[in-house]
Amino acid sequence: MLPCPIAKSTRFGGWHPPIAEGVAVAAALLMAGACAGCRQARPVVAVIPRTCGTALWEPEHAGAASVARTRGLDIYWNAPMSDDDIQTQISLIEKSLDRGYAGIIVAPIETLPMRTPIRRVLARGVPAVVVDTELGIPPGPLLSYVMSDEKAGGRMAARRIGALLGGHGDIAIMGINPPMMSNTARERSFEDTLAKEFPGVHVAARKFGLPSAPEEQQVAEQLLSSGEKIDAIVALSLASTRGAYYALVEFDRERVVKLVGFDQDLIPPIRTGGIDSVVIQNTFAIGRIAMDLMDGEIHGKSGAAEILVQPVLMTRDNVDSPEVRQILNLSWWPTQ
Amino acid sequence: MTQAVRRISLAVACLAAGALLVAGGARFWRSIGRHRPSGPQQVSLEKQDDWQAFGGTWQYADGVMRNNSDERGAKLMTGSTELSDYSVEADVLLLGQYGDAGLIIRASDEEEGVDAYHGYMAGLRDLDNTLLLGRADYGWREYIARTVLPRVYAQQWYHVKVLAVGCDFAISATAGNGATTAAAIEDPGCIRSGRFGLKSYNTGAQWRNVEIRPASQEDLQAMIGNVRPPIAVPVQFPTGVEPAPYDKYFEPIQRDLAEHRTDVSAQPISSLRLLSPNATTTVTVHGAVTLTSPVLFIQDSTGGLAIPSSHPHAPLLIGDEIEAKGDAELNDFSSQLHNADVRLLWSHTPVPPVAVTASQAATGSFDAEYVEIEGRLVDKRQDGDRGIVLMLSEGSQDFLALATQTGTATQFQHLKVRSRLRLRGICVVDSHYTHDLTPFAIFLPSFNDIEVMAGPPWWSAGHIIALVMGTLVLILIGLTCYILIERWRMQAVLEERERLAHEMHDTLAQSFAGIGFQLEAIRDELGETADILPQIDLAQEMVHNSHQEARRSIAAMRPDHLEAVGLAGALREAAARMVAGGSTVVVRVNSSGSERAIPLRVSDTLLRIGHEAIANAVRHAHPAYIDVSLRFYSGGVEMIVADDGSGFELTDGLEGFGIRGMHKRADSIGARFTVRTAPGQGTAVQVAAPLPPSLLRSSWRRLRFGLLGRKPSYGHPL
Repeated sequence: MLPCPIAKSTRFGGWHPPIAEGVAVAAALLMAGACAGCRQARPVVAVIPRTCGTALWEPEHAGAASVARTRGLDIYWNAPMSDDDIQTQISLIEKSLDRGYAGIIVAPIETLPMRTPIRRVLARGVPAVVVDTELGIPPGPLLSYVMSDEKAGGRMAARRIGALLGGHGDIAIMGINPPMMSNTARERSFEDTLAKEFPGVHVAARKFGLPSAPEEQQVAEQLLSSGEKIDAIVALSLASTRGAYYALVEFDRERVVKLVGFDQDLIPPIRTGGIDSVVIQNTFAIGRIAMDLMDGEIHGKSGAAEILVQPVLMTRDNVDSPEVRQILNLSWWPTQ
Repeated sequence: MTQAVRRISLAVACLAAGALLVAGGARFWRSIGRHRPSGPQQVSLEKQDDWQAFGGTWQYADGVMRNNSDERGAKLMTGSTELSDYSVEADVLLLGQYGDAGLIIRASDEEEGVDAYHGYMAGLRDLDNTLLLGRADYGWREYIARTVLPRVYAQQWYHVKVLAVGCDFAISATAGNGATTAAAIEDPGCIRSGRFGLKSYNTGAQWRNVEIRPASQEDLQAMIGNVRPPIAVPVQFPTGVEPAPYDKYFEPIQRDLAEHRTDVSAQPISSLRLLSPNATTTVTVHGAVTLTSPVLFIQDSTGGLAIPSSHPHAPLLIGDEIEAKGDAELNDFSSQLHNADVRLLWSHTPVPPVAVTASQAATGSFDAEYVEIEGRLVDKRQDGDRGIVLMLSEGSQDFLALATQTGTATQFQHLKVRSRLRLRGICVVDSHYTHDLTPFAIFLPSFNDIEVMAGPPWWSAGHIIALVMGTLVLILIGLTCYILIERWRMQAVLEERERLAHEMHDTLAQSFAGIGFQLEAIRDELGETADILPQIDLAQEMVHNSHQEARRSIAAMRPDHLEAVGLAGALREAAARMVAGGSTVVVRVNSSGSERAIPLRVSDTLLRIGHEAIANAVRHAHPAYIDVSLRFYSGGVEMIVADDGSGFELTDGLEGFGIRGMHKRADSIGARFTVRTAPGQGTAVQVAAPLPPSLLRSSWRRLRFGLLGRKPSYGHPL
């Protein structure tokens, strides 16, 4: 007889003992079968960037994983295949909630559509860390923000442009994207710094951002073929940086028109000088800090946090520096 | 009876254990049965039902599986997750630049996403001319990037093979000229089993002649020779970060850009609606390909456009950025481009769909655009080899969905009318497609663009009837179980009582008889003059009374006796025993109404109450008559024990005459208990007990007869 309290009882809810015995045996067998697959699961944190498999976002995976390993947390790392697919990103958040993950770290593709999903996450008592943009929801015990310091990035780009042009010249700004607060912060900081510190640099054209590099390439092509004098281009997004660069190569003007971009993507043109510099986000540090905050939120030890991470201006001179290589590191797996 | 209960209990336990064993055995059998492929197997690409797509736009034709999308990380999977040591090989062709394509092995937990699976992928990448092998665990670890000489060309077939034995992995790629590139690694802590599939990244691709076969160490040695594969070390940095030689990563892009100059006078697609409707205008537009077949559709950020007749310079894939120059034709609700010269500008990730409602799509504002839309399936039909047609409805709008793919018979059959579907496809309002039946139609790039959100609602007439029937059956089963259990419990009580009756008969009654004999002997010995005779006579009478009492109790405790003579008979016998021995009390027992079977529990309780009432009358009321009557009525049975004796003052306490005990007994069967009496007016004890409805009872009788093989008892007790 199995050592089961039910089986020891001579009466079971008024049933005759043999019935109780039979039921007990069946229940024990069923429980034994069910518990054969039981396993103590580690808490899982969903980390959902704008997309996966890129130089911009894989370091976030590495940073988050480096902290998760030391805190006994597992990571679910997935994202839309395209960095403009907000609907898929929202679906991944909903899927993470349904699966009962312990927390969600997300880098919203757009600011406004992500408000409701994140509010729902918080309403379910699931902690969240929002990366790279502020949603307008105040931080609290369950919500923190980790962002690249876009104002600092804007200042870096402005000072680089000012230095490249010697304080005088005409520039174009591409990739302006009002739905993303972080992009707006970049743009405003860039223009404020330029106006204050380099009043001789004139913004000749401002172009809205488009989702893909080819579309941005068309924008740049039109810009370069418009006859307007352009000494430098500041591209505020990854797609606009790539599109502008392709257009400069296409028009054979990459040595003439200086290009300062944002967000790490193409590395070889920086070595060749085709792209002068790129303000890169330290997504490795962002991932680390986000997971650290998440661990605190899961264990109720974290207060409201809004942390800014300094970006780095990547140029031909520092592309192989330890600092930049650390940022570009994508080893999310444990290293022996 | 106890044995029957035990048998049933054991049967339940055995069934549960059996179910577990069967489940476990099936799993074990599956695991050993599918541990290895049984031999070389050509994998059918045509049966798309056997494959599961995770992203991509998959199409089969002429022995070739093709992904028409530049999506990053599109997968098409098949096989069992129990497969362990095996090799997969296939001819692979990359359709575009800057991407990779190949084979996945030992995979599990696949989802849509760039690296969203656990497993290994081996393939060719034309960005840096490499044969690659890596491991995905919802993140990519690249172990091998071996240069392929002279290079990896798009639009050329290569034979790719990947083999896994234990934790050793070998890969090879053979070009059309026979040149083979091979490499191998050992991945300690490897994934040991999983299914296989096709994968492409950032480019479309084609596969043919897919084969799977079991693999062994000998097969591994045949691929890499007699050397141990090196331990796998993942690369630390993304492609293109290494300082030198970085040219190899950039050369294809430079090469392509040299031919890339576009027409800067290209117009936004939405602006075509502003052209003159009276003259043919030649225009240039740029856009991303959203559908290639049966009609080419492109889309820019302002709108979409159909290009029914085109002359592409290269095969087009979904996601490709193209430049199209042709004659704009303005229709009622949309524009088209005819005689278009189409030039591929760039490969790109496909544009995501815009989520719209049927009402929004019906306005025509999303004509020729890639949309995501939901609707309830109203009708479906297969149109020969031309594909499938679905009719959907959402709110106040109906619309069609058209798919041209073949090999999806099972998927089509699995679509149930009244299911809620989410579709991704091109919204078209042209009457050529809608036949003016619906405001718009959706062109589905593949059958995988249909997602079943919810099956048909359950409240169909058939389901409701089934639910009601099921509920009734459950109630019947529950009721049956309850009655069975109650019966088993009662039987156990009666068995115990019968055992006690036998004990009393063998001990107490025998002792009383013995004492009586001894007293009789003493009396005979003493003679008639002894002073102690009155005491002896009193003792003899007491022993006699006690003996009678014991016999009555024994009789009342024997359900078999009750069963044999029935309730009325048992009451008659009990009364006769009590008045035997010179009493002048006349006992009359009668039964009226339509006699029905009385459950044992009820008949036993009535008998014991009757005993008590008759005994009270005999002992205390000194009546001339005792009338015992049983009356059956539609809802139950009523028993009245009435006498014409002395009666008594009925007080609230009901302390005497065992009335409290009788009342409690009556309560235990839900019966109404009444005592009517007054000094000099006799006493009537009335008990009205409910009986189960006759329909259920007859059902129960039949069921019991069937289950236990016992004849139904229509007498007393059940």
